[in-house]
Amino acid sequence: MTFELELRGITKRYPGVLANDAVDLAVHPAEIHAIVGENGAGKTTLMSLLYGLFPPDEGEIFIRGEPVRFDSALDAIAAGLGMVHQSFKLFPTLNVADNVVFRQEPTRRGLIDRAAGAARVKDLAERYGLAVDPEAAVEDLPVGVLQRVEILKALYRDAQVLILDEPTAVLTPQERDQLFEVIRRLREAGRTILFITHKLGEVMAISDRVTVLRRGRAVAHLTTSETDPAEITMHMTGRAVDLDRRAPEHQSDQVVLEVGNLTVLGGHGRPVVEEADFEVRSGEIVGIAGVAGNGQSELIEALCGLRETDAGTVTLSGRDITHADVTERRRAGLAYIPEDRYGVGTTRQASVAANLMMGHHRRPGIQNKGWLDRGAVAALARRLVEVFGIKVASVSGPVETLSGGNLQKVVVSREMEHQTPLLIAEQPTRGLDIGAIEFVHGQLIEYRDRGGAVLLVSAELSEILALSTRILVMFEGHIVACLDPRKVAEPEIGLYMTGSHLENQVA
Amino acid sequence: MPRKVLEELQDLSRRALVSPVTFSLLFAFALAASIVAVTGGNPLAAGEEMFTGAVTGSGLRNTLGRAIPIVGMALAVSVAFRSGIINLGGEGQMVIGGLAGTIVAIYVPGPGFLIVPLAMFTGAVVGALWALLPAYGQTRLQLPILITSLLLNYVARAITGFLVRFPLADVSVTLATTRQVPETTRMPKMPLFGGVSLSLILVILMVVGLWLVYSRTVMGYETQMAGFNMRSARYGGIDVEQRTVQVMMVAGAIGGLIGTHLIIGEALRFIDGELVLSGFAWTGLLVSLLAVNRPIPIFVTGLFFSGLQIGGLAMQRNAGVSWRLSQVLQAVVIVAVACRLVIRRRDRRPSQPVDAETAGVGEV
Amino acid sequence: MFEQIFDTALFDSATRAMIPILLAALGGMICERAGVFQIALEGIMLAGAFAAVAGSYLALNSGVGVMFGVAAGMLISLALAYGTVTRKGDSIVLGIALNLLAMGLTGFLLPQLFDVRGVFQHARIDGLDRIAIPGLSQIPWVGPVLFDNTILTYVALLLVPALWVFLFRTPIGLRLRGVGERPLAAETLGVSPTVYKYGAVLTSGALAGMAGAQLSLGNVVQFAENMSSGRGWVAVVAVMLGRAHPAGVLAAAALFALAEALGFRFQGNGLPVQVTDALPFVVTLIALIAARKRFARLLDLTTSA
Repeated sequence: MTFELELRGITKRYPGVLANDAVDLAVHPAEIHAIVGENGAGKTTLMSLLYGLFPPDEGEIFIRGEPVRFDSALDAIAAGLGMVHQSFKLFPTLNVADNVVFRQEPTRRGLIDRAAGAARVKDLAERYGLAVDPEAAVEDLPVGVLQRVEILKALYRDAQVLILDEPTAVLTPQERDQLFEVIRRLREAGRTILFITHKLGEVMAISDRVTVLRRGRAVAHLTTSETDPAEITMHMTGRAVDLDRRAPEHQSDQVVLEVGNLTVLGGHGRPVVEEADFEVRSGEIVGIAGVAGNGQSELIEALCGLRETDAGTVTLSGRDITHADVTERRRAGLAYIPEDRYGVGTTRQASVAANLMMGHHRRPGIQNKGWLDRGAVAALARRLVEVFGIKVASVSGPVETLSGGNLQKVVVSREMEHQTPLLIAEQPTRGLDIGAIEFVHGQLIEYRDRGGAVLLVSAELSEILALSTRILVMFEGHIVACLDPRKVAEPEIGLYMTGSHLENQVA
Repeated sequence: MPRKVLEELQDLSRRALVSPVTFSLLFAFALAASIVAVTGGNPLAAGEEMFTGAVTGSGLRNTLGRAIPIVGMALAVSVAFRSGIINLGGEGQMVIGGLAGTIVAIYVPGPGFLIVPLAMFTGAVVGALWALLPAYGQTRLQLPILITSLLLNYVARAITGFLVRFPLADVSVTLATTRQVPETTRMPKMPLFGGVSLSLILVILMVVGLWLVYSRTVMGYETQMAGFNMRSARYGGIDVEQRTVQVMMVAGAIGGLIGTHLIIGEALRFIDGELVLSGFAWTGLLVSLLAVNRPIPIFVTGLFFSGLQIGGLAMQRNAGVSWRLSQVLQAVVIVAVACRLVIRRRDRRPSQPVDAETAGVGEV
Repeated sequence: MFEQIFDTALFDSATRAMIPILLAALGGMICERAGVFQIALEGIMLAGAFAAVAGSYLALNSGVGVMFGVAAGMLISLALAYGTVTRKGDSIVLGIALNLLAMGLTGFLLPQLFDVRGVFQHARIDGLDRIAIPGLSQIPWVGPVLFDNTILTYVALLLVPALWVFLFRTPIGLRLRGVGERPLAAETLGVSPTVYKYGAVLTSGALAGMAGAQLSLGNVVQFAENMSSGRGWVAVVAVMLGRAHPAGVLAAAALFALAEALGFRFQGNGLPVQVTDALPFVVTLIALIAARKRFARLLDLTTSA
């Protein structure tokens, strides 16, 4: 039989990394094919190669039995492929219809025929159950709708094979269910779907067949109805999962951070955090769970002095820091591992040493009456590099050459070095490989065991569950639950994350 | 040991050869030569006049003398650029500060050893205050310094022009000018190559001082980190707004100093439009860009550009080729350099390294 | 008093002051829409003014002069396009350097080619004629102000609605805006940001060169050193204030031109020239303050606090 899509021996090398290693993949027409693997297993690279974003070093691609070569995404689109990227490629100020018809605009006498474009979009949307208003400006739409616009873009270009890269990462469960419905309708209409994910529940729920990637290799080709999550997990990780490192309780009554009815306003004057009320004690890790975009980032920014608070109080080790600036807060005893290690956590043009001393540069010993002690700076940098095993050629070299994991070590080591009572860690392991993740987790636990208080924000529920002493769940700016990880299961947290249990408000 | 030195020299020359600056200089000279040839001049003769004019006879003294404002204004620009602030208001800061200093030198009675420093100080303070306008415009009103500082140049021209024509006019001459600075309150000359202004020492002190600040102090570290990446600096506890204001005041103060020097040390009269016409603020800007805002390279580059201009004047006298060719040369060097490399400025890359558009996810 | 100031002559001189700013600003607007920060307008305008005079002098024909001006503008903008788009250089650094290059080059070529300093006036230079549009120019008030002007005036005024349609109703305009907003997104759909950015920058060069020609062959018939005297920068501000929309840009350009014309008028009424010269810039600054908070993007771009 002819496959709709087939990859043979696809290999892609980067300096020092084999991103894809002789990957084979065969997809039947009108099937939902899941591609699973951990972060860094090579899923996104493989799809980018398939979509013509860059060429493979070796290997061949066949579409309906014909060998093809894509020099650009355009070739892939012409061959009937459509891709919905993890980060949407939309034009914010244009409306939905303009975004969809872009470069294939229907025209009348040289001018864009807006009515015809909107009609086509509406027609497609109705056929596949993608509720979208063609006239709405994209910048005003929620993430779930943006994804529908991306799918419409592909369908407008008549994509027979639709590639969805981690499509549920930004969705609420309701939106996810709607997406699954759309995917099933597309399959019924004879289209083929490649579904990239690392969430096993979704694989089991939606896919017909599964290909598992591990360290760049396709290690298993399975049929969903004949397998189970345990088998897939084994293929994904190559070992039994053991994320559970819950250390013994280290109870303490000493409150380090006290947040009282904190309200933070967002861009349009709407509250993005509303009356957040919680505390973090020494010797505990408080995890904040929630779908991205429910106010976690704004809460953390407000705690760190990077965003104005509208109402409420923040007390750190007994000091009121509600209106303190960043420096005062840091002095009061707060260290912060920011979500964005490239744009906020580090300064890429500066040297490793200059990055490592950020925040320490006013400390007596490092400086004396405004003069930097260059020996002390170098010693600090060398010590952190050694203790935390940061792989650098020289501390005076630019930080931009470091890998993601090493860069995160720069941030983590620097913030740990402050030895403050409170550490705020925001998505500390996002995009890191397993080794670096274990390193960061180990550091957070050590910090806790030394009596530090840790506030952890993560989109990875497994990370929250593995590390936290208590779990707060945020939904639409509210803290809707305070849970004990020993007594709660993932599905229950999920309910809170989606606001389905608003009446049970605990916090 | 000598072997090591030799290796270092080899390495240095190799790097110099492949450096974009070398390429840009060669490109600029080649282009300038062809412009001279096309417009009917002799590029070789012009080049020779340019070189001898800059370093022989009174050339060396003039080159050093002209390097004072060029290096000075370059330092003023560099201070701002290093913090990621695009201050195009050097001209206005220089003109306003210069007139203020001149007023002190002309009208305040007293001995020269008191009045000269007082005039310089006044120039610096007024220049700094003028620079405060765009600084607060940015920190308080969110108006980009790039635009406001530039527009204020024209306002500064108008204000000084008005003052010089009316309240401060010297009615005994036909020019729109102030009176002459009395002999006692002029900037003294040093017995060096036949008389170089004492201000040269001031400029050298500023070069060394800024070098120390950037390489050795907390303040230098903070300004620089803020220049690279504002968000990261703010996260590290650096008050970026405060730094912006400070840096602009320093830049304005240097501009005011140089403006005052240009009158009480060189022109001796504040003639309407003269300071603007000299273009020192802009030459300084080019110098700073070429030297990537570092103090010591600024000094070297400033001397070089000064030599180009002095040599250009000699070329105009002796080879009949307009000295404005030097300006062309300087600008071409920067255009070429800017095409070859990105002058380090504040990082405005969106957060994710893989995809410049990822930032769109949340805010589309 | 009021009628003495606001008469047809005032609006006539305002129109003349507006056209160069408008032409340059429309060019800057296209660049802005394509995502290129164009601050070389001042230099391009100056080079255009010089080249226009040179061309007209050589050919005894103002049409050739305009073509020279446009060509000079495009040449300089080609350097900007190459530097910023192809070499990914810094548009601000390049823009500043190109402004200074134009200043130096015109200052150099003036004595070199025509053996004069400061101002170049010559009987050989053919100025742009005022063309009265039959009928329309007879309309009281509006007629003499708008419909008895140089060809470039009509070009500029027609460009406002033309660019409006172009940007918001044509496929090319849509793609241009897409490129400016999210170049990578446009690229994945097969729209080359490079091509569009080059097109935008070259167009802005042509328009700013035309603005220069209007200065040196339309408003006056001569070239004076630095005769653009800040108008290019005002055009940059007009793009910002007009939110890169043709109508907004027209309104901003008209505002500055009116300030300039009023300055002339007050000059005639005895105010010192220094004060009146500053008027357009003061108005510009005030307009900036009034319309602040719109510049978040530029503030980002100019990497300030």
